[in-house]
Amino acid sequence: MLDFPHTQSAHCESGVAANLLTHHGLNLSEAMAFGLGGGLFFGYLPFIRINGLPLITYRAAAGQILRKIAAIDGVCMVEKKFRNREAAMAELDQTLAASIPVGLQTGVFWLPYFPKALRFHFNAHNLVVYGKEGNDYLISDPVFPAPVRCPAEDLARARFASGALAPKGKMYYLTQAPEGLELKPHIVRGIRSVCKMMLASPFPLIGVKGIRFLAKRLSRWPQRLGREKAALHLGHVVRMQEEIGTGGGGFRFMYSAFLQESAAAMQEPRLQECAAALTTAGDTWREFAAMAARICKKRGRPEDSYPAMVECLNRCGAMEEKVFTELRQWTRQQP
Amino acid sequence: MELPDHSSAGELTDGLKIVCYAVNGKGEYALTPDFVWQPVHVVNHQAWQEIEKNIAASKDKIAAGRASCLHYYMTANQMDPGLLAQYTDQPRWKVCLHLLPFIFNRLSAKTLQKYAELYRISPDDLTQGRLQPLIPNHE
Repeated sequence: MLDFPHTQSAHCESGVAANLLTHHGLNLSEAMAFGLGGGLFFGYLPFIRINGLPLITYRAAAGQILRKIAAIDGVCMVEKKFRNREAAMAELDQTLAASIPVGLQTGVFWLPYFPKALRFHFNAHNLVVYGKEGNDYLISDPVFPAPVRCPAEDLARARFASGALAPKGKMYYLTQAPEGLELKPHIVRGIRSVCKMMLASPFPLIGVKGIRFLAKRLSRWPQRLGREKAALHLGHVVRMQEEIGTGGGGFRFMYSAFLQESAAAMQEPRLQECAAALTTAGDTWREFAAMAARICKKRGRPEDSYPAMVECLNRCGAMEEKVFTELRQWTRQQP
Repeated sequence: MELPDHSSAGELTDGLKIVCYAVNGKGEYALTPDFVWQPVHVVNHQAWQEIEKNIAASKDKIAAGRASCLHYYMTANQMDPGLLAQYTDQPRWKVCLHLLPFIFNRLSAKTLQKYAELYRISPDDLTQGRLQPLIPNHE
């Protein structure tokens, strides 16, 4: 049986990337994987609906972190998608028999080991399968403290979940990873891509503009949707921001951790300052979430109101604009 | 950020401990084992209340004879006709028709089997119109 280094992490995709690389001998922390993969993002896309609620995302599209990490020199990743359930499971068994741990994209709804309260139709979950015992697969799910088990039938269902972002049995594994990695150019590249998305998008619904757009829309929710529905929308925003798999504060804390680690790796005090500034932005996101939750619960304090939340979001937008402008300047000075 | 308070800890995740990024005493980030943040419970609870409300509404509809029992299973599994159609490889309009009692009662055994397999119930439950309680953790 394979000896797989299971490390619990805050986010599934970066956690899987870090664990797989560590297994292949390249020690990488989760936050570093998140940063190198350019994982941070903001997007408010009301024309895409999830259970009738607008899509809000605080991180890059599912699969981007892995794709960017696979593009690093010396890393070789094989990725496969399937149409047929049996073929997908057979391929998984074969790869496991060659003692290669396999990453899978799955839906959350059909995984029996997930707590009931978190079972929604969300299809961009990632996990690593590292063995099979009888009919059970041994799974290292990065969000859980210890490895878990899952019956084959449930795993097959989860791999072929339908709906938005359907995984289609996607599996991936590393065939090769470099011994050591010169982090510097990859850090700069990762930060550059995030700055581009956050600041320079021509599309007004993403990046810092997206935060302001959300603030504007949010102020009109009580009139447009009525109080009940507005509270539902608000709860959805907070769930996307804070629920398991975000590391808190809509990934802002995780990205700060990455900046801090990079600052240490590159001896760069400016990154340290940016990390501190982004932490403040994350705290403001949390302030917003706490206020929103109080309104959802109808236990609002006197100072809680929709205009106050709008003001809070605008502050987030302004802070992040400042941080990413500073980071963009920094990347431009890099070779 | 400051570590959140631990009231009602673990209720959401069945006692599962998660990790999150928090600043330690020296101002450095560290992965800290932690419970789920309190406001997350509130919004998660809100989402489930909405689902339960939908289930109750669906039961009323079935009792009034305006929907087939497939409607209950669909709602209880947080699906809509579109998603159910994808899971069962059928066009959406067909699933919509199957939600009507008149058409549902005339479904072939094969189609019923498809639905029964998806929801892990027996085809009899569907033909008899029994509403099994939902067991997401089917231990």
